[in-house]
Amino acid sequence: MNTAAQQRRKERIDRGIKVRTDGLYALMSWRELAYLIAPRSILIVGLLILPLVMPGRYWPRVISIACIYALVAMSFDFLAHYVGLVSLGGAFFVGIGSYLSAILNTSLGLPPLIAVPVATLAGGAFCTLVLLPCLPLRGVYFAIVTLMYPLFMARLIEALDIVGGTDGIMGIDSFPSAWIEQYGVIVMVLIFLFGLRRLVNTDFGLVLRAVKDNDQAVKASGMNITRYKALAVFIASATGCLAGACLAHIYMWTGISTFALDFSILPIAATVIGGSGTLVGPVLGCLILVPVSELLRDFGTLRIVFYSLILLAFVVFRSDGLMAYGQRKYDQFERWTKI
Amino acid sequence: MLEAADLMVFYENMLALNNVSIRCGKNQIVGVFGANSAGKSTLMYALSGIMLDIRKKEAMAGGERITLTGSIRYLGREISTIKPSRRAKMGIVLCPERRRIFKESTVLENLKIGGYLASAAQAAETLAYVFKMFPALSKLKNRLGGFLSGGEQQMLAIGRALMAQPKLLLLDEPLLGLSPLMQATLMRATREIRNERKISIIITEQYARPVLPIVDHAFILENGSAVMEGSREELMDNPDIRAAYFGV
Repeated sequence: MNTAAQQRRKERIDRGIKVRTDGLYALMSWRELAYLIAPRSILIVGLLILPLVMPGRYWPRVISIACIYALVAMSFDFLAHYVGLVSLGGAFFVGIGSYLSAILNTSLGLPPLIAVPVATLAGGAFCTLVLLPCLPLRGVYFAIVTLMYPLFMARLIEALDIVGGTDGIMGIDSFPSAWIEQYGVIVMVLIFLFGLRRLVNTDFGLVLRAVKDNDQAVKASGMNITRYKALAVFIASATGCLAGACLAHIYMWTGISTFALDFSILPIAATVIGGSGTLVGPVLGCLILVPVSELLRDFGTLRIVFYSLILLAFVVFRSDGLMAYGQRKYDQFERWTKI
Repeated sequence: MLEAADLMVFYENMLALNNVSIRCGKNQIVGVFGANSAGKSTLMYALSGIMLDIRKKEAMAGGERITLTGSIRYLGREISTIKPSRRAKMGIVLCPERRRIFKESTVLENLKIGGYLASAAQAAETLAYVFKMFPALSKLKNRLGGFLSGGEQQMLAIGRALMAQPKLLLLDEPLLGLSPLMQATLMRATREIRNERKISIIITEQYARPVLPIVDHAFILENGSAVMEGSREELMDNPDIRAAYFGV
């Protein structure tokens, strides 16, 4: 270890501008402000422009689907990394949301713009209610239980032949215009993204993060952790239900495939690739994974092989995810120093 | 027996060990004393090689970048790049801080896991020795590790380390959270182990008083640097050290 090469080490240092923008100094100059605003505006503007630059009718639709996955992935990331509940029930949220919105639309005749928010809130409440008994569970046990829920719902609908049975519900109204359909989801992703990012830094978010770290200490501080967990699950499941509700109106159809494992697994994969615990990471991950999986369609079933290889490589070599990597490059520089 | 020179460990940009050089002679007990965050555990990780493992894991997860330099010579051989498992085979066995016993295995199972490297005869002999040295454990053979008291857990941890047939035993804060009575018992046992098994022991502790009677030589770590070393008497004669680490 005493060779000359190893007598140097690479050190990481925060960029001066990063340090200055941490506090009120950010307001001092346009340069500092731009440093803060640039990454955020790239995301916002990028997302808004994306459908415009995409050719044809096919790719804008892919963007919509990616955004729907992004909502589910955000809800996973929020629950897993800020509340400590690893939920494999993304499909459950999506399914409940899409069925509720479909029923509200077809049976009660509510227009999509009303059915979607109602389904979001009601679905969130419903999911929270049925997940309530599982809230004391932690870690892998919560994961297993939540994995059961979508399977349970799918088989229930299939076996009892309720709400359309295996055919699903057809004839759902689409959004009033293509623009609303396209931008509704994108704007929702942005709202939920920045909303959740803000939420986890409020006092409420602080308690949630404390629950993740040590729930006994939170209990000892006199807080009812079940209430906090339930609220967090409501927020996450409402996000998932919103995604499902939009999905129903985009496809103008819903069926038991909305309870499929895809909606549980792909968001998790996207979170891993994008960077877990960053909330932006999952969105980025979905914007990469969904189009990639579309591009790989040409390879038929080999698609899954490529897909798994990409995932494998990320988990092994870059388990902190793209976002954490990018953030480090943006905020810090590296240089060699003598020891 | 063991000679570490110019050990430096960086956690990212934080210097955890700064040019620390320590020695441990054959059949010696060496004490390393220092306050919280002085670098005691880092030193133990560096000596046992666990640091290489931590560095690899951190690098894979994109976490802290750990830099490790310096030389560690053990029995005349440079071991600073050797994997921790190989070092354990060579006889450097770490008894980690906070015991880290296998909570869901019984006392006997814990000891048997420790004896993985030993031959069957050695393991049987050491097992009998551990139960002789710590009679309290022999009554608890079939109890789960997690249900033991702190002192019993520490005995078990030391016993488990002994099962690996160490030539150099690294005890990282063995007295953490124990009653003075238990501390005295453990230190007596440590000395006996050294005398009877002919092994060298490096022992770290924050509060030097219970440990000092049994050490031959001691080092004081402060903020990652070895600020002082000397025999037991030399340290006791230094008023600053006495006030800071012996509480007299």
